[in-house]
Amino acid sequence: MRITREQLILAVPLLLLTLFVLYPVLVVVVSGLVGLTASDAMEFMSSPLTQFTVSLTFNQAILSTLMTLAVGLPGGLILGKLRFRGRTVVRALLIVPFVLPPIVVVVGFLQMFGEYGILDTVAMAITGSEGSVLNLATGLPGILLAHTFYNAPLVMLLVAASMERLSPEVEESAELLGASPWQKFRRVTLPHILPSVAASGILTYMFCFMSFPIVLALGEGRLRTIEYRIWDAFRTAHYGDASLLVVLQIAVTFVLAVAYVRVGKDSQDSGATTTSVRRVTFGEYSPVVRIGILLYLAFMLVLVAGPIASIVRAAVYDPITRTYTLDGLAYLVTPGSNGGLLPLVNSLFYAGLSTILAVALGIPLAYAHRTRSRALPSLSSGMMLLPLGISSITIAYALMRVIAVPTGLNINPWPLIVLAQTVIGLPFSARSIEISLRSIDPEVLEQADSLGATRLQRLFFVELPLLAPGILVGAVFAFAMAIGEMSATLLIASPENYTLAVAIAHNLGGRDYVWAGASALLLVAVCVIAFLLIERISEGATGGAL
Amino acid sequence: MVRVVLKGLIRRFADDTTVGPINLEIEDGELLTLLGPSGSGKTTTLKMIAGFIELDEGKVMFDGVEVARVPPRLREIGMVHQSIALFPNMTVYQNISFGPEMAGWSRERTIQRVEDLADLLGIRHLLMRSISEISGGEAQRVALARALAKGPKLLLLDEPLSALDPQLRERLQMEIRGIQRKVGTTTIYVTHSQDEAFAISDRVAVLQEGTIAQVGAPEKLYDNPSSEFVARFLGSGNVFSGVVESKDGDKATIIIHGKRFTIRNPHCPSSGEVRISVKPEDIRISQTAHKDSISAKVIGITPQVGSYRIILSTDGSTIVALTYDEDLVRDLRNSPDDEVSLSFHNDSIVILSD
Repeated sequence: MRITREQLILAVPLLLLTLFVLYPVLVVVVSGLVGLTASDAMEFMSSPLTQFTVSLTFNQAILSTLMTLAVGLPGGLILGKLRFRGRTVVRALLIVPFVLPPIVVVVGFLQMFGEYGILDTVAMAITGSEGSVLNLATGLPGILLAHTFYNAPLVMLLVAASMERLSPEVEESAELLGASPWQKFRRVTLPHILPSVAASGILTYMFCFMSFPIVLALGEGRLRTIEYRIWDAFRTAHYGDASLLVVLQIAVTFVLAVAYVRVGKDSQDSGATTTSVRRVTFGEYSPVVRIGILLYLAFMLVLVAGPIASIVRAAVYDPITRTYTLDGLAYLVTPGSNGGLLPLVNSLFYAGLSTILAVALGIPLAYAHRTRSRALPSLSSGMMLLPLGISSITIAYALMRVIAVPTGLNINPWPLIVLAQTVIGLPFSARSIEISLRSIDPEVLEQADSLGATRLQRLFFVELPLLAPGILVGAVFAFAMAIGEMSATLLIASPENYTLAVAIAHNLGGRDYVWAGASALLLVAVCVIAFLLIERISEGATGGAL
Repeated sequence: MVRVVLKGLIRRFADDTTVGPINLEIEDGELLTLLGPSGSGKTTTLKMIAGFIELDEGKVMFDGVEVARVPPRLREIGMVHQSIALFPNMTVYQNISFGPEMAGWSRERTIQRVEDLADLLGIRHLLMRSISEISGGEAQRVALARALAKGPKLLLLDEPLSALDPQLRERLQMEIRGIQRKVGTTTIYVTHSQDEAFAISDRVAVLQEGTIAQVGAPEKLYDNPSSEFVARFLGSGNVFSGVVESKDGDKATIIIHGKRFTIRNPHCPSSGEVRISVKPEDIRISQTAHKDSISAKVIGITPQVGSYRIILSTDGSTIVALTYDEDLVRDLRNSPDDEVSLSFHNDSIVILSD
């Protein structure tokens, strides 16, 4: 096989990813394992602490997934079926939790469900109690609720999209053949949406399995999952232990990824989006169902809209002194080591740089995914998924160890933060560029060729202008991911490199809640603006970028 | 089986289009086709009968009983949709047995019924296949078997053959016709193809912008279109304007394109302007001009099975003629720029009433 210059260009991002992600991770894991005797490994893996960690990780993930499905499934069915004003707005808003940084969600959760939070205040008023009576934000309930908050909207979107691919004529056939509404649901609708339920379930499980900021901040240091222990082990230089856990984690995510690809194929196969979805108006439901829908709506408002809205309160309300204060907002403009101005500037600077990199690498990566050669597409899709399968903490540590220490970058490791954020944003930028690449009509490109455009002319005058919306959406997505990134940055950053996300984690740890609240509010504002930009550019088609 | 009466069905849509009022009677055991261009309201009418689209006005009556309050699943209707709409998650057998199972038939009876239908439609060897493993024509037969499985009183077929290639379509038209005769179910068939409607139906109802333009047996529609729309849509019509000069009994003299024609038609008004229609096969072409003939130019000659289709132009309007005369066609081809003259048989002129 002859290798063309084009293929070489497309291979550049793959080489860079190999050099900056795959190789360092391999080195760290292998060297960790090599320094370990078999009996040490056995002892570590069978220790009660490790056993607890492993079973906690699996169990909280399965509980979170079940809760997410229980909450998301009815919503998906309603969203796919009910005709109501503002459907498109609701669908668009459901993307918001997905772009919110986890650490920001933690702040919102503490304020909504925590001690002296909004829910607690209501409960105190009802019971007439002076002290806190209700705390759902910390410990296992907090973690499960936060995971549900994150993933239920995803389940809703995927299930609703699947409902929309169910041909109304198939439903009509079932009705004409005498199926009652329940029989129709069980025999026709349920089998149809099952693949998308399974796909969203696997995605949720994967997210919860690797979740770090939520576990760190809500787990009270007591609930230590695998990801938490990896972070702890790297921090405390237990490299062998860390490597064992990383290998275990990668094995699980690999199995999940394979299962997802399998199931994902099924959920895409079952029909194209039909033009005439049959929807039902609210009035057509029986009163019982109507009350159910209203209760569900109220529940979702408390669970999803509540924490986001209460971030505003978190910025000005101190739950310790139980007073309103402007200290948080003042903190944001305070320069120096105790202020929020430096983290803010750092956040914008690192995220900006990494966005540029993520787009620059994302374009060739998306093209590599579309080439006709045999190896490139599968390699590039594998590389795109890599950062989703390997935890960001592992990547961050590998970068520190293999690149920063030998080159002396560890004195001020900011380029590594940019690098880690690039790797984390890259799947999102590459994916949205690839989606928009897929939507270009190949016949339009053939037209350009037949009219005599050279390869470069075609690229600059035809392809890139057509790709522009996809590139912009990808850039905004990468920016949102980068600015909200906490795990990798937390591990790499020296105090002068703190970003807002890391500063929030530290402020929460130091019980400086208003500082954390004000920083969170700022990040929410950035993410909401990012979301609005995405919506504006892609005109409501963001669902595809997931 | 059932006799269906549609009384003044009207459905108004949000985009200001209206289907109806539709008045139609479908006799017990009859196969009636709703024929019309796309957007004429065929599928809407069918779905109003099935109960999937609510009526704004009017009544649907099965054997004299109004069915407005009967949900679709209790109307004892079998339907084949345009998209076929087989259940993709089930096998061929499971698709066909779905109706009987919903009705709580015994296992033996269901199996017997499915096998009988599979034999009738020649799909017995497909029963255990999944839906993704059968071809378009096979899917069509499965859908028909599924619709018939519970022995419905009324069969609704919504452009069921539109996705198939012409040869297969023709074969399945004959099969559907044969099976409908055999089971005797009252059937309403929707199509936009005149050939298909004529091949399959006892009677055809032509729809125009949401209302019925004309109903009748295929021959009757073809020979006596009542309007310019029907004449043109059925492809049987060359439509001309004429002025009635005089009328004596059922004989009338009409001026068409400045020439005088005598026709025999009792429905002709005694004066004023009329629209008339002449079938392509009733137009005679001659290369020598005579008194009462219209002169025209040949634009194109297309050979088709058993005849030639000749496109002519006169005064800017297009006329289609059919001829079986090979000598004439040879002469026309040899002298393409000559004018020809057209005449028609007195009895073959149809006066269009609206």
